Amino acid sequence: MSMEYRKIFRCFLVCCAILFGAMLWCLPENAAAPSVVAGSGVAQDPWASAAGKVVVLIFVRTDCPIANRYAPEIMRLSAKHASDAAFWMVYPDKRESSEEIRKHEVVYHLALPVLRDPQRELMKRAQVSVTPEAAVFDAKGRLVYHGRIDNWFEDFGRARPAPTTHELADAIAAAASGHPATLPSVAAVGCYLSDLQ
Amino acid sequence: MICWRMMRHVKMPRVMIFSMRKQKYVGAIAAVLAVLSVIAASHAEPYRAQHAFAAAQNAAAAASGTARQVTAREGTDREVTFNRDIAPIVFHICANCHRPGEAGPFSLLTYDDVKAHARQIVSVTSRRFMPPWLPDRGDFAFADELRLSDEQIALFRTWYEAGTPQGAAKDLPALPKFTEGWQMGKPDVILRATKPFTLPSGGTDQYWNFVFRAPVAETRWVRAVEIRPGNKRLVHHANLLVDRSDSARHEEAQPGDGFAGMELQIESENFDPDGHFLFWKPGTLPRPEPNSMALRLDAGDDLVLNTHLQPSGKPEQIQPSVGLYFTPQPATEFPVLLQLECDKQLDIPAGEKHFVVSDEFTLPVDVELLAIYPHAHYLGKDLLALARLPSGEEKTLIHIAHWDLNWQAVYRYAQPVKLASGTTIVMRYIYDNSQDNSANPNDPPKRVVAGNRASDEMAHLWLQVLPTNEAGANPAGAAERVGVADPRIKLEEALARHHIENNADDFEAHYNLGAMLQMRGETRDAAAQFAEAQRLRPGDATVENALGGALLAMGQLSAAIEHLSAAVKARPDYFDVHYNLGLALARHEDFSAAVEEFRAAVRLSPKDANAEANLGSALAAAGALAEAKTHLERALTLNPQNTLARENLDQILQDAPH
Repeated sequence: MSMEYRKIFRCFLVCCAILFGAMLWCLPENAAAPSVVAGSGVAQDPWASAAGKVVVLIFVRTDCPIANRYAPEIMRLSAKHASDAAFWMVYPDKRESSEEIRKHEVVYHLALPVLRDPQRELMKRAQVSVTPEAAVFDAKGRLVYHGRIDNWFEDFGRARPAPTTHELADAIAAAASGHPATLPSVAAVGCYLSDLQ
Repeated sequence: MICWRMMRHVKMPRVMIFSMRKQKYVGAIAAVLAVLSVIAASHAEPYRAQHAFAAAQNAAAAASGTARQVTAREGTDREVTFNRDIAPIVFHICANCHRPGEAGPFSLLTYDDVKAHARQIVSVTSRRFMPPWLPDRGDFAFADELRLSDEQIALFRTWYEAGTPQGAAKDLPALPKFTEGWQMGKPDVILRATKPFTLPSGGTDQYWNFVFRAPVAETRWVRAVEIRPGNKRLVHHANLLVDRSDSARHEEAQPGDGFAGMELQIESENFDPDGHFLFWKPGTLPRPEPNSMALRLDAGDDLVLNTHLQPSGKPEQIQPSVGLYFTPQPATEFPVLLQLECDKQLDIPAGEKHFVVSDEFTLPVDVELLAIYPHAHYLGKDLLALARLPSGEEKTLIHIAHWDLNWQAVYRYAQPVKLASGTTIVMRYIYDNSQDNSANPNDPPKRVVAGNRASDEMAHLWLQVLPTNEAGANPAGAAERVGVADPRIKLEEALARHHIENNADDFEAHYNLGAMLQMRGETRDAAAQFAEAQRLRPGDATVENALGGALLAMGQLSAAIEHLSAAVKARPDYFDVHYNLGLALARHEDFSAAVEEFRAAVRLSPKDANAEANLGSALAAAGALAEAKTHLERALTLNPQNTLARENLDQILQDAPH
């Protein structure tokens, strides 16, 4: 993707966002319309405001215990990489109300911008399949990693005392340093997104 | 002459040196308890017919039948639907925990709930992570088994792969009626932890102990205990222990603070080895003890709740409650907790994947095995207990092929397992200290030995047994009638000697054997065992007191005073020690020093008639007759039958009738 094309593409996305945002106000929350919606209900493009930073999407649902246990680690990582990565929480479950999501953010101290993905556009683009799962996009918007945050959980109910590999942090560092290679996906343990309607 | 007369005042009741409360029975965790439950169909009446869990089990059995039926009919392409096939299993196996306020992280009460977790259900059931049930099927069934059949697991997959069809509304069974709040109705007494514990949002699992003061003014008999852990989603399991000797209180910085620690050492009175498991894990419903086996709770006892807590991702406050249900009927049957262990063998090299330890103990009496509680920490992999019958035949008591500390539990047998004298209990545990064991607390792995911390290891097997005599009835009478011939003592003594054979440095075994010999009047042998225990833990208040007491009984006053003084130094607020040191000093005719010790004893236990009587007697011996009279009278107020106080008071009145 050339830079010129990239600019045009980004501009297009922003336009769409504005257009969909306007439409959204008249649509019910779970309406099958625009996909990427901020927690406030306004359409939003996470790349539009990234300002050349790495974009990290963390897919969660409010009732996924493994995703919830990761809350402190998600905040720690987002603070650590604040200068080179923009973190977004993505709630793809259409059943979750805005109020439930807001409450979830408050009780788990998740002070990050929120996106909803009722049309699964972000899920497809990020190629994720469970919660919690991370996707890392480089400054050019290319997906460079998707998968587990680290190896804390080996399986359901089988957690290490502490993780010994740190795939998300490694991916952010690689993307931020302009490392061109795509990192292999490492499957995450958690709640299946395919269970969602 | 005066000296002689004073001596007559000081009738130190030698027998009281060894009154029951002076000797302590030490055990690692559960010498004290394990699950409140159950005890066998032959003893126990089901709590109530519509008891939720019993209903769940029945329904599960029914659902299992349904599952088999469906499988058999799969060839006819009969559609598996939620309403007809899945709901009966989910409602009766899963919903007890997966409903609001319970341990499950989400509810499974409706079609939408289950559909929204369908693939996850297929995944966790096929791995047998859910429902949580560790033991393989063995030779003896457990009560309340929470195990899905292979057919039921297959049914979930078939339903998921068919696109999770809902089915006809008429097929949907009613949800079970769950009891909210206290499961057995309002308890007679509710104890709530004084202070909540704040669990941080992240980090490793935590182990926290809450100490409850039992609010009983006199001995009460407890037929059931319900443990409400506070937040069921955070508490992985909890053990409740009765502490009759203030052991746990001494761990608290301030009363009610609670304290950290994965394993507890609680002293309990000798020859009354509490044989009850009081255990909570998610999904546990309280069950009453049969009245014959009610749990004794004395004034001054504490209840200690040992909890395993798992952070949830947000800061949490945990403030558990315990409900007590009393019965007027004192216990007439006394189960015993036997502990086999292989801790001495635990020296697991870094990287070792298959480290085996084993122990064998032959029962010296007939018993009924009521419940079993295997325990290891994070390196435990495969835990097995067998009974080798006198015929040589081996029966599996429990086998956990994939040990997971997080789901440890006490397992009660559906029926008591009769084990004849001469049966050998065999435990064999396998540990994995390699990187392949994701629960390994060390990265990279390092050498691990036995210990109480989560990063140490353990190899314990607890058995709750009811000794039986030849006629098959339990001969033990009331607690105070426990004697040398009591099969419980025979069992405990055999076990203590077995532990010492395995490990000459087993503090608890030396101590407990000493206490049992002391009770039998074999003071010299008892002192030798206490001396061994003291060698292993010099300065330990309990053992210094026991050794001092035995030496005192043997008339070795200087040595007795030395050890009792060491005990006072270690634990200045230990009533028994002040009392015994007072006796030793008085026999050494150091009455002024004896008076100070008895004063301390009276301060610590103002209602103890013997302490008052001895204080009065020592004061009299020291010449302080007026003050002596006050204390002797107080002793008689506390106990009009106290002969020491009566005789010495009579003597004082006779000498100085005004």
